[in-house]
Amino acid sequence: MTSPLEARSLSLIREGNDVLDGVSFTVAQGEIFALLGGNGAGKSSTLLTFLGFLEPSDGDVLVHGENVGSDIAAARSAIAYLPEAASLYGHMTAYENLDYFLDLAGKSAGRSDIDAALDRVALPDEARTRRLQSYSKGMRQKTAIALALLRETPILLLDEPTSGLDPVAIDEFHDLVTALAKGGQTILMVTHDVYGACQVADRIGLLRGGQLVGSFTAENGERIDTETVHAAFAQRQSA
Amino acid sequence: MSSAIRIAREEWRLWLRSKVVIAAALIIAVLLAATSFLTAGRVVDEQSQRLDKQVAAEEAFFSQPDRHPHRMVHYGHYAFRPPPPLAAFEPGVDAVTGQSIFLEGHRQNTAMFADTKASADLGGFATLSPANLYQLLLPLLLIVLGHALFLRERESGTLAVLLAQGQSGVKLAMGKGLALLSVIAALMIPLVAVAIYSISLGESAMAASSLVFSYFIYLCIWGALVLAASIILKQRAVSLGVLVFVWLFAALIVPRFAINASSAAIDAPGKIESDLIMLAEQRKLGDGHNAADPAFQRLQAQVLEQYEAETIEELPINWRGIVASYSEAELTDLLNEHAENRMGLEASQSRMFDLFGVISPTISIGSVSRTLSGTDLATHHRFLRESETLRFNFVQAVNQVHVEDLDYARDLNRNASDEAGQLARVSADSWKVLEEFRFVSDASGDRLSRAALSLGVMIAWLLASVSIVFLAARRVRM
Ligand SMILES: Nc1ncnc2c1ncn2[C@@H]1O[C@H](COP(=O)(O)OP(=O)(O)OP(=O)(O)O)[C@@H](O)[C@H]1O
Ligand SMILES: [Mg+2]
Repeated sequence: MTSPLEARSLSLIREGNDVLDGVSFTVAQGEIFALLGGNGAGKSSTLLTFLGFLEPSDGDVLVHGENVGSDIAAARSAIAYLPEAASLYGHMTAYENLDYFLDLAGKSAGRSDIDAALDRVALPDEARTRRLQSYSKGMRQKTAIALALLRETPILLLDEPTSGLDPVAIDEFHDLVTALAKGGQTILMVTHDVYGACQVADRIGLLRGGQLVGSFTAENGERIDTETVHAAFAQRQSA
Repeated sequence: MSSAIRIAREEWRLWLRSKVVIAAALIIAVLLAATSFLTAGRVVDEQSQRLDKQVAAEEAFFSQPDRHPHRMVHYGHYAFRPPPPLAAFEPGVDAVTGQSIFLEGHRQNTAMFADTKASADLGGFATLSPANLYQLLLPLLLIVLGHALFLRERESGTLAVLLAQGQSGVKLAMGKGLALLSVIAALMIPLVAVAIYSISLGESAMAASSLVFSYFIYLCIWGALVLAASIILKQRAVSLGVLVFVWLFAALIVPRFAINASSAAIDAPGKIESDLIMLAEQRKLGDGHNAADPAFQRLQAQVLEQYEAETIEELPINWRGIVASYSEAELTDLLNEHAENRMGLEASQSRMFDLFGVISPTISIGSVSRTLSGTDLATHHRFLRESETLRFNFVQAVNQVHVEDLDYARDLNRNASDEAGQLARVSADSWKVLEEFRFVSDASGDRLSRAALSLGVMIAWLLASVSIVFLAARRVRM
């Protein structure tokens, strides 16, 4: 069976700089793969290549075994993407934002579906009819997560999903992601939060300087050991 | 297509929630309504005034008492050019050319303004016509509204989200384009109202709707340029700056330059210079008031031979009338030749000016607008020609009365006494020779074919700018 997501010796050059250099990994269906790395490691860039926003300078990115470049539309319709900065419209309410983007995605969601998703991310009722320009960072992030949920795509690409969330919301989010994976969705999330990655990921890839320099897998139903990963992360960072 | 409509709708939501946009829209709406209303009112007034004056001038001529015919030649007549209905929108050259001419024997007067009020208006309000607003101000409004149409999404990161929902750059561009198109459609409403009003005043529906169509094309060109800039450029300030510069260039700099360039390239002699040349040539023709002028000896020989007479006294007709008629014809030939020369030069200058439409669509729309409205130079020239024909015909008709209805001996004797003067008159009935003059606009087909070249240039502009939008939109990755 082909994996939902696969990078094959993926290299990427952005404005003359090598950003990714021969990165290979696969994410299986229902798996949570966390790409961990420091600032500028190339995490966000990796997600962008899966969406066809950036073109690999070498190697391939595949979605459901299909080269992204050959059918960008197909890749995008299979993927829900949570961008690094929760980029939604400040002049619209949460309802309006979600309705608009879902409409453009060709997904019809009623008010009750939207409410259900906003319940899952715990966005307060009172906020839902306010314009996003009056939201806190975390509230915007929750709205953006709700959009990704509502797309109901087989694949989720999450860029720093817990950024801006308070500890309670982070825990709730981890439960949510775990549940989604159980439901069969394939999740690739990128983060520099070692603890968070260890909490949810089935597998962690350590990215540094555009290369995959380490890999950790949860075994026997246990979580990946935070200490080990942290040590590797810190070591690699200072190396 | 449905996604394009949705994107356009959301753009409207943003505009409607923006105080700046609403304020700008209100100001434009008030300006458009006010100028359309004011100019429409003025045109209706002027139309009826000038028609009244034309009729009054004809009645004054007809009601002259028994007179010596040559006194009627000098009494003269007026030709008036009423503004066409669409002048309410586009005053065109009417603002700078005269709209009435005093017609008299032996002279071609220049057109003058029908009344002092009209010329006093020139400095101030005449320049703020609805056409000017459409040509200059509305593109600026489109720039303000649209320079960040695409860029805003890029800058705020929502472009990536839109694309991630499966929208292509082209679809987004279509949505944004549709939003601008709907603005343009709304902006067309005042013009459509003026057009309908002008049709009710007798304007051809063809000309009026072509005018609406042309302005629609013109604003679409600007819309496409604005959209292209917002796709291609990466910063709001740069996009605004570039577009304002393009606007300055197309709407102000090129027209200025085009006027200078076309008048420099096609050199029309100054008025004093050409008047002097003409006077010299005129002197050679002889004075038509003096039948004894040696310039008329050959004519005399011809006429005597034709009537088999020995002396002019023996002629069955009035020799002084013959001379007046002959010299009027000669002089008119000369005057017409000069007038045609001057009009030819002006027409070539205006054609050359129109060519600059290739680098500025504002030039093309100006030309199309004046032509379709019937306020272009060609229409003014036709007025000059038709009023000249009117002049020549009435002068020669009165001269013919002089030839046939006034005895030569009595004519010669006219200054001997009051009584002799009374005898050297013809009946007031003779003044009926004056033709009725009603200046009307060109047929819409003629106007359209005159406007075709500039309209074609505009359509080429539109195709080019829309292509740029599509090419740029296809390259949008994020
Ligand atoms: N728009 C861009 N144009 C050119 N280079 C870029 C651009 N964005 C990022 N880069 C470069 O690509 C490299 C990887 O950036 P990327 O955003 O993928 O890092 P990241 O791992 O997501 O970092 P962070 O944790 O800070 O989000 C960096 O060296 C960065 O300078
Ligand atoms: Mg990043």
